[in-house]
Amino acid sequence: MRTLASFWRDIAIAIVALAVLVYVGIAAETPWTRDFLTSLFAYGLLAMSLNLLIGTTGLVSFGHAAFFALGGYAFGLLLQSSGFLATFGPGAVPVAFVLAVAITAVWALVVGLICARLSEIYFAFLTLAFQMFLYSVVLSWVGLTGGDQGLMGGIPRPVFLGIDLSDPIHRFVFCAAVFVVSILVLRVVTASPFGYTLRLIRDNPRRAAFLGINVLRAKVISFVLAGSVASVGGIILALFTSGAYPEWMYWSQSGQAIFMIMLGGINQFFGPLLGAVLLRFLNDMVLAYTEYTELATGVAILLVVLGLRRGILDFVVDLVRNRRERTQQSEASASLKRGPDVSPDNKAATLETVTPRA
Amino acid sequence: MTYRTFGRPTRRTVLRGAAAGAAVLAAPAILRAQGSTIRIGMPTILSGRVAILGQSSEAAAQLAVSEANEAGGIDGRMLELVVRDSAGKPDQATKVTRDLVNTEGCSVILDAEASGGSFAVNETVRDIKVYCIHTNSETSELTAAPKNQVEWVFRCARQGIHDAVGGGLYAANLSKEKGLTRWGTCSPDYAYGRSNTAEFMEYTKRFAPEIEVVVESWPKIFQPDYTENITALLNSAPQALYSCLWGGDLVAFFDQASLYGLFDQFETVAVNLGDYPVLEAIKALPTGIHSGSRYSSTVPDTEANRTWNDTYRAHSPVLPTNWAWQTYSGIKFMVEALKATGGDTDASKLAEATRGMTIDSPFGVNGTLTLRESDHTLIDYPVGYGLTLPEPPYIKNFQMTAWDEILKYEAEWKERNGYA
Repeated sequence: MRTLASFWRDIAIAIVALAVLVYVGIAAETPWTRDFLTSLFAYGLLAMSLNLLIGTTGLVSFGHAAFFALGGYAFGLLLQSSGFLATFGPGAVPVAFVLAVAITAVWALVVGLICARLSEIYFAFLTLAFQMFLYSVVLSWVGLTGGDQGLMGGIPRPVFLGIDLSDPIHRFVFCAAVFVVSILVLRVVTASPFGYTLRLIRDNPRRAAFLGINVLRAKVISFVLAGSVASVGGIILALFTSGAYPEWMYWSQSGQAIFMIMLGGINQFFGPLLGAVLLRFLNDMVLAYTEYTELATGVAILLVVLGLRRGILDFVVDLVRNRRERTQQSEASASLKRGPDVSPDNKAATLETVTPRA
Repeated sequence: MTYRTFGRPTRRTVLRGAAAGAAVLAAPAILRAQGSTIRIGMPTILSGRVAILGQSSEAAAQLAVSEANEAGGIDGRMLELVVRDSAGKPDQATKVTRDLVNTEGCSVILDAEASGGSFAVNETVRDIKVYCIHTNSETSELTAAPKNQVEWVFRCARQGIHDAVGGGLYAANLSKEKGLTRWGTCSPDYAYGRSNTAEFMEYTKRFAPEIEVVVESWPKIFQPDYTENITALLNSAPQALYSCLWGGDLVAFFDQASLYGLFDQFETVAVNLGDYPVLEAIKALPTGIHSGSRYSSTVPDTEANRTWNDTYRAHSPVLPTNWAWQTYSGIKFMVEALKATGGDTDASKLAEATRGMTIDSPFGVNGTLTLRESDHTLIDYPVGYGLTLPEPPYIKNFQMTAWDEILKYEAEWKERNGYA
């Protein structure tokens, strides 16, 4: 019952969050707010889906951006196909969306089945190898992908259900809705018994296996889920940029997602999202004044890592928890020093305080 | 001590406060609406190995903007250039372009990106409907392929296919003259390098069918060590070499290849060698390398071109490059278009004014440059080859290709590719 209650609470929070995002996006005086938020939706999903692997399952993937980019490329290529547009007409965008996620999920399944048998650095480097393989395919298959110049000619977006994705407001609301639903999916997965199974696998895979859990299957499901959500991020970015580019699946893109997680916090659900906000914001601010963006972001991450020794949200949560514990301890010791309060109102409490529990 | 007490605010106070608040919130919009300046957004490459080209673009653009402002601006409205670094990354170029329009209030875009970034900018300005002139991308497809064409986008830059026709004619004559039938290539392994090299060799073979390519070497972009490529070339012993390496890559390749005596062993054609920063950066510039007419104060050999060269150098610490003259010319076209619309930055109106426009220019072979109406691209700029000298002016004996020849083969190329 408690799980069900928290599920409904999450849905309520998601609805409120979506309403706030839509309001902020529509009410914004300049398009900058919508642009910033839209790119944040894309990179936020990349970071949060990666944290399903790193933070929840304990699988440090160096090749996660491959799924992000594959989603964008599949979506763009499907919509650039005149045959596809003719076949699905006004329904082309939703069909391309679903197919792009499905294609990415199948690729994630293939990669996951191979990589999830390994652990630690071997897993990390094999995922990187698959990412660079895909990167090479995109660069070499110029006729299909445009090679290093990315998808050219724009992405057609036929109107569906009254939604015109070439309109900035429609596109923003659509991306916001897709983002919130994707976050909700991640939340449901991590808060479900399956999510706790993943944490058990992260903390002690051998013990999980002894308890009868099929560890490989759970890891592969986690891998496919994370890849699918990352592909949604790629689709949002493809819609935003009206193209797809090989840089999205270069190894440094996966590295950037790991930086976001490190910056925001690995142990909190919204830590990676905070990291994405900070990194994008820092990048935008620095870019306005100097071309040394990478130096500035590097210094910021270094300061967080050396100064806090964990992500910002992890640090804040630990700080609040420690203060609360210290307050409780000091209250308890103060209560002991005061001795028993004999007033009739506090008789029961006094008895509980001074009477040793059995 | 007395305290000032605040009663319930009157209707007038509320209205005053609301007006003040609205004024503060709307200040940027009001400033833009007043149109005190017209802001030109310029994404380019300011970091990394080819940053010097972006820096020369920025210097040239600033020079053109200063000249326009000194001449009274656009009906008294001044121009302002806002430059941002894309690091040559397409997704960063997209983001920077959007920010320039949406955050910085730029109403037109001068895209001084290399090819990868330009395609990204092209899609962005198509999406947000902002007038744009590309000034540095040479990949022919950018404006030749119908799917990339955008009504309000133009390209003020040399084009790969134009260079390929000129280079092919030059190389074919060279081959016939010196009996060079075995060619090798060493070009960067990305879209520009591959398409440029393929087009160059295609036209060389077309005009001299007896030649063959015996070795192809594809160094990665920004590769530090070219030993492997140099060894491959030496082992295959071609009689002539073609390279479209550029910027810092070309300097590194020349410095390393000179150690192996590569340029003593066969004729070399390097289309991108003729940029001053490259020519001055190579430690021991070999004599007799065939180079394209990138930027030279003597091509075209006119008083106007020499004067521009002097003015630019007085204005900028960065040497002039191919990117510099193209970006300068891009701003000149933009200024003329803005004058024609009376400062109206509506994309369609500016496009209407720019289509088929001809301006007087120190870089035009006949004193003018034209943005062709049919595909919005630049013609009548110098296309030719000369031979290197170890000291200034570094290149001599330029042989120019006539534009009617270039246009004839370009039209055929377009038809063959289904672009016409």
